[in-house]
Amino acid sequence: MTKYFYLIIVSLFFLGGFFFYQNAKFNDGKLHLVVCDVGQGDAIFIRTPNGSDILVDGGPDDSVLSCLSNHMPFWDRTIELMVLSHPHADHLTGLISVLNRYKVMHYVTENVENATSSFKRLQAALAVQHLTAKYTTSGERIDFTDKTDLLTVWPTKDWMETLKLQDSKNLDTEGSSLDVNGFCLIQLLSFGNFKALLTGDAGQIVEDKVAAGVGKVDVLKVPHHGSATGMSDYFLSEINPRLAIISVGANNKYGHPAKSALNLLSSHNIKYLRTDQDGEVEIVTDGKTTRLVN
Amino acid sequence: MFYSQKTQYHDGQSLSFKTTLLSDPKFTGNYQDLSVNLPTGELVFVQTMGYPEYEYGQRISLIGKLKVRLLNDKSTILSMSFPKIEHVKNSENYWLAVINSVRQKIINQFQSVLPKDSSALLLGIVFGIKEDFSNNFLQDLKTVGVMHVIAASGMNVTMVSGFFFYIFALFLKRQWAIVLSLMGIIFYDFLAGFQASIIRASIMAGLAFSSQILGRQRDGIYVLFLTAFIMLFLWPQFLTDIGFQLSFASTLGIMIIPQLFKKWENAFSGDLLTTVSAQAATLPILLGSFGTYSVWSVVVNALVLWTVPVLMILGGFAAILAFVFSPLSKFLLYLCLPFLIYFQVVADFFANLKGSINIQNLPWQLTVAYYLLLVSVLVFVFQKSHD
Repeated sequence: MTKYFYLIIVSLFFLGGFFFYQNAKFNDGKLHLVVCDVGQGDAIFIRTPNGSDILVDGGPDDSVLSCLSNHMPFWDRTIELMVLSHPHADHLTGLISVLNRYKVMHYVTENVENATSSFKRLQAALAVQHLTAKYTTSGERIDFTDKTDLLTVWPTKDWMETLKLQDSKNLDTEGSSLDVNGFCLIQLLSFGNFKALLTGDAGQIVEDKVAAGVGKVDVLKVPHHGSATGMSDYFLSEINPRLAIISVGANNKYGHPAKSALNLLSSHNIKYLRTDQDGEVEIVTDGKTTRLVN
Repeated sequence: MFYSQKTQYHDGQSLSFKTTLLSDPKFTGNYQDLSVNLPTGELVFVQTMGYPEYEYGQRISLIGKLKVRLLNDKSTILSMSFPKIEHVKNSENYWLAVINSVRQKIINQFQSVLPKDSSALLLGIVFGIKEDFSNNFLQDLKTVGVMHVIAASGMNVTMVSGFFFYIFALFLKRQWAIVLSLMGIIFYDFLAGFQASIIRASIMAGLAFSSQILGRQRDGIYVLFLTAFIMLFLWPQFLTDIGFQLSFASTLGIMIIPQLFKKWENAFSGDLLTTVSAQAATLPILLGSFGTYSVWSVVVNALVLWTVPVLMILGGFAAILAFVFSPLSKFLLYLCLPFLIYFQVVADFFANLKGSINIQNLPWQLTVAYYLLLVSVLVFVFQKSHD
C-alpha cells in the first residue's frame, strides 16, 4: 500500500513537471503553424499566441490526433475553430475522430454537400456536439483578437451561386472545374507580418484568380498535395512564398507530388518540404521573425 | 471433427449468417472494418462502407462471398469485402445494451482526457481493448515483446476478482461474496470483449473460487490443467490458437520456474524472474507464430512491468468514478499519464534499436528439442536445490 502511495507522489511530481514544461512550450505568445504528417491528405494545426486552437482539415484517418496531442498542452481539450476546406475523405475523416475526443467551439466550411459515408458520419459527429456549420465566402475574416486572423479568399459568393445552379450531382467528378476542389476554401492566415496561404485542394484556375489579391506570403501550403494541376507559373510569381509545404503520403496511388509541380517550385527558387519525406513541419513566429522547427 | 470444421470454408464461398459485434469497428477514409465471428467461432475480417456506423453489441446479418488468405506463417485469415449487411437489432439483449453503454462511457472518458496513444495503452492494460491503437504503436509493442500487457489476461481477472471479493466481503458472507465476485468477472469479460486469454483466466478464477466454496485447497497447476481441459473440450479449435498456446505455456512457466529460484528472490528480481520464466516457456511459440523475437524483450519487460499494477488500479478506479464523479476520474487519469508516457518512451526507444531475430520457418523438431532441454534444465536445478 505504501508503495502505491509513493508512486502517486512521484506521479504528481512528474505531472507538475509536465505542466510547467508544456505551459512554457505551448503558451509562449507566438503563433505555431503545423502541417501534420497524416499520410495522403491534409491536416493543418494552428495555435495562436493567446492559445486558441485551430484545425484546418483532419486528414484521411485518426493520425491527426497524435499531431494535436504533440502540439497542445495535455489539459487543453478544446479546439476553438475547426475548418473543413472541402468535403473529401482525405480532408474530413480525421475531423470525426477529433469531434469524438475534443470539445469543438466553432465549425466553418463551404456550402457544399456530399453523399459519401464519411460526410454523413461527420454530420452525425457534429450533431452530437450541437454544432452547426457556418458557411464562409471570400472577404470574411475571423479575428482572434491577438493579431491573428484568418481571411477567406475563395470561393466568392458569385462563384458559389452560379455553380450551385448546375447539377450538384456532377460536382464530385474529379478534374472538372465544377468538382468540389473548384469550390475548395482558400484561406490566408496572418499574424503581424507573417502570412501563410492555406489552399486545400484548390486548382490552378481558381489559384490564378486569387493570386494578385493575396500578394506575397511567407508560407504556402501547396495546393492538392502537389498535383500537376495545382499551381501555375503566374501564381507562384505573384505570391512568391519563402517556404512551400507539400502534405502528401509516401507512395500514394495518384503519383503526388507531380514532377512538374516540384520543377515549378525549383524554378522559382522556392524551398519546399514534403510531409512524406520530412515528416510534420512546424513553423513558429512572433509576427516579425519566423523559425522552422523540423 | 475439429479438422473437418476447419476446412469447411473455402475461397469464394457464399455465406449468409448472423452475428453479434463483440468489438468496435475501425474507420479509415470512407470505409469501416469489422471483425465478426462466424457461427463456428472463426474470425472474419469484413470491410464495408463507413456509413451506417455499426457498434459493439449490435446484432447484424451478413450475406457475401468469403475470401481465404494464406499468411506467411501458414495460418489463414478469412475476409469479406462489402457484404450485404442488415442491422437486425441494436443489442442482443438488455444486458448487452447496458454493458455496451458502460463500455462506451469508459472509452469516451479515457479518450477525452488522455492523448491518443496513452488512452489506447491504458484501455489495453485495464480492459484488453485493442481497437484504439494506432498501427505504429501496436507494431512497436509487438517488436519489443510487451503485447501480453495489453491482452486482458490472468492478471486483470485476478485483480478484478480480488477487488470485487474485497468489497463484497466487507458486508456479506464469504460464500455470497464469492458468487458476486464471479458475476463481476463475467461482467468484466463482456466489457473486455471475449478473448482466449481472458476466458482462460476467468474459468481459472471461477474454478479457484468454486474450490474455495467447496472448501478444497486450490492448487494452481492442477486448476490450470483442468481449465485447459475444459476449454479444449468446449472449443477444440483453441488447440491451434496462438493466444491460447501462449497463455497456457506462460502461465505454466510462471507457476513452475520461479519456485526453483526462490533463493535469489528479492524485491527487484521479482518482475525480472517472472518475465524470464514466461519468455523461457513461450519462446518457440513466439518464434513460430510471429517470426520475430526481440533480444531486448526481457529488458523492456523488466523496465515497464512495474507500471502495470499501478495503472490497473488507477485506471480501474478512474473507470468506476467516470459514472460517479467525473472530475476525480479525470484526476486519476492524469495521474496515469506519467507512467503511460514512461511506458511509451521505453517501448519506442527499444523498438527502434536493432536486435530482433527473424525466423521464416521453425521446424517442429526444434520446438520439441527446446522443451526437452528446458525440462531437463529445470529438473537439474530442482535436484540441485534439494541436495
